[in-house]
Amino acid sequence: MRQGYSFNFGSRRSKIVPYLLLVPGLLFYLFVSFGPSIATAGYSFTDASGLLGSPLRWIGLDNYKEFLLLGANVRDNLDITLRTLLFSVLVTVFQTLFGLIAAVLLDMRLKFTNFYRTLYFMPIILGVTIVGLVWTLFFYPIGGPAQRFLGLFGAHSEFLGGSPSSVFYWIVWIQIWANMGVTMIIFLGGLQTVPAELREAARIDGASGWQVFRNVTFPLITPSLNTNVLLEIIGSLQAWQLFLVIKGPTNGLNVLGLWVYALAFGRQSNNPTSVAMRQGYGAAASMILFLLVLVIGMASQSLLSRRERRILG
Amino acid sequence: MSTILESAAPGKRVPRSAGATARLLGPKTLAMLVLAAIALVYLLPILTVLNVSLKSRQAFDLNPTSIATEFRLANFAEAWKRASFPVYITNSLAYAATATLIYSATAVFVAFPISRKYVRGSGFLFGLFIVAMFLPSALIPQFQMMLHLGLYNTRLGYVLLFLVDPMGIIILVNYIGSVPRELDEAAMMDGCDYVRYVARVVFPLVKPALASVIALHAIGVWNDYATALIYLPKKAFMPITRGLMVFYGQYGNDWTTLAAAMLMLLIPMVILFLALQRWIIDGILQGSLRG
Repeated sequence: MRQGYSFNFGSRRSKIVPYLLLVPGLLFYLFVSFGPSIATAGYSFTDASGLLGSPLRWIGLDNYKEFLLLGANVRDNLDITLRTLLFSVLVTVFQTLFGLIAAVLLDMRLKFTNFYRTLYFMPIILGVTIVGLVWTLFFYPIGGPAQRFLGLFGAHSEFLGGSPSSVFYWIVWIQIWANMGVTMIIFLGGLQTVPAELREAARIDGASGWQVFRNVTFPLITPSLNTNVLLEIIGSLQAWQLFLVIKGPTNGLNVLGLWVYALAFGRQSNNPTSVAMRQGYGAAASMILFLLVLVIGMASQSLLSRRERRILG
Repeated sequence: MSTILESAAPGKRVPRSAGATARLLGPKTLAMLVLAAIALVYLLPILTVLNVSLKSRQAFDLNPTSIATEFRLANFAEAWKRASFPVYITNSLAYAATATLIYSATAVFVAFPISRKYVRGSGFLFGLFIVAMFLPSALIPQFQMMLHLGLYNTRLGYVLLFLVDPMGIIILVNYIGSVPRELDEAAMMDGCDYVRYVARVVFPLVKPALASVIALHAIGVWNDYATALIYLPKKAFMPITRGLMVFYGQYGNDWTTLAAAMLMLLIPMVILFLALQRWIIDGILQGSLRG
């Protein structure tokens, strides 16, 4: 690690000034975000509720036992966990694929490239509420655009009245629609670092467009591929807000992040005294999600960096 | 034509005849067709909102998809009146402005000494911010804390939750690393004091990164729905996202008015996006580099 530089601003006493000025930002972070994140582990061993003044008891591993082994909802919890994994796999695979295709095509610098890049990237600023409502309207069940459009292919959309499993796949699609722009931008950044001479040299040697991509471009953008895959895996495992806006907690459609919310705050958390709000149990579910993110995130990180070392040395 | 539509449909693979089609049309034409198809996937849902917002209730019930034949703004007036828009938008603007201002000012004073290693344990402190995305959700203990501090259902409590953004710190630390240290040394030699140096020299120098941080943070606060759902049940305190969902809950079948309401939010955001696009893209690229 780099050694600290000498600090020599103003008088001797002023050496504490940087510390004093750092404190507000650091304290906000520690109290509002970092501390509560860590405290989730503690709460997961209690029977905390969201009611003010209710006693807090230490109940050891009971929440975990109920979630994983003994409770009436073990089967549902397993379904929810598997659905979270499925969501993550689908989003990661297809968002990477679509983002890569879009970036490679934009990198060809054809007509309207700037317009297309702006358009594909735009949903980033819309937020879950607008995105959720726009697509809910698009999937309007009685003669809505999606229904007519998909009807051309003999398919049908039953977004609002449909079964949870078909809604699930449409949420995968909407999640990708909303976030593909980030993937694309990161790939575009990577593509710009590939020297044009390398590609030209390969072409002169008689490589086809696909061969150039496969053997020259794609290996060289490994760092942006790794960044994208890791961001997508973590982001999609933790995702829940799009589910919240589009359907809210719904049997057969919940993912872990949404389930944590449902357990801790109830279906409609309009006031803190209205529902049971099992926050200790919710914290345990939150820790299970955390462990999934940790294990899967670290495993993919190590696989990806091993591949990067093999390719780029 | 079928190539365009098929590649635009979700989950559909590019047809196997892609190679043959490419030879027939030339790779450039094929690429342009695919780009246009993706553009349709992005434009159609937005255009649907525009189309529905111009329709009368009867016309929508008759056929939601047909192109609006008249240009009527009645839905917009209706939405503005019924959705308590002025209250919600004022709230959203106030939350986004306050939180972003306080956050970005404190963030530079966190990021600068960490990046320069002017404080002990800089590496450790930076690590605290980097691990943020892996940590368990802070949702539940945060709620307990706010409840016990009496900050539930208060504007202060809500804004407090947005004075934090690890991504912004990472962007700033990375960027400050590229600002030459000779400037610090020159200022030290001149006997400039720390506060003045950061305020007068560092802030202007990191403007590009700061612009990204400000844009991303403000967008994040503006778009928040879940935190507002949990913490702000009182209607007078709700931001526009929450207000829109309340409106959706009450008038869920009245899509023509709802579409007008959505559009009134969408249009200013798209304009703002066009203006800030560069900073947003820079910010996302910088934030994704965490070494």
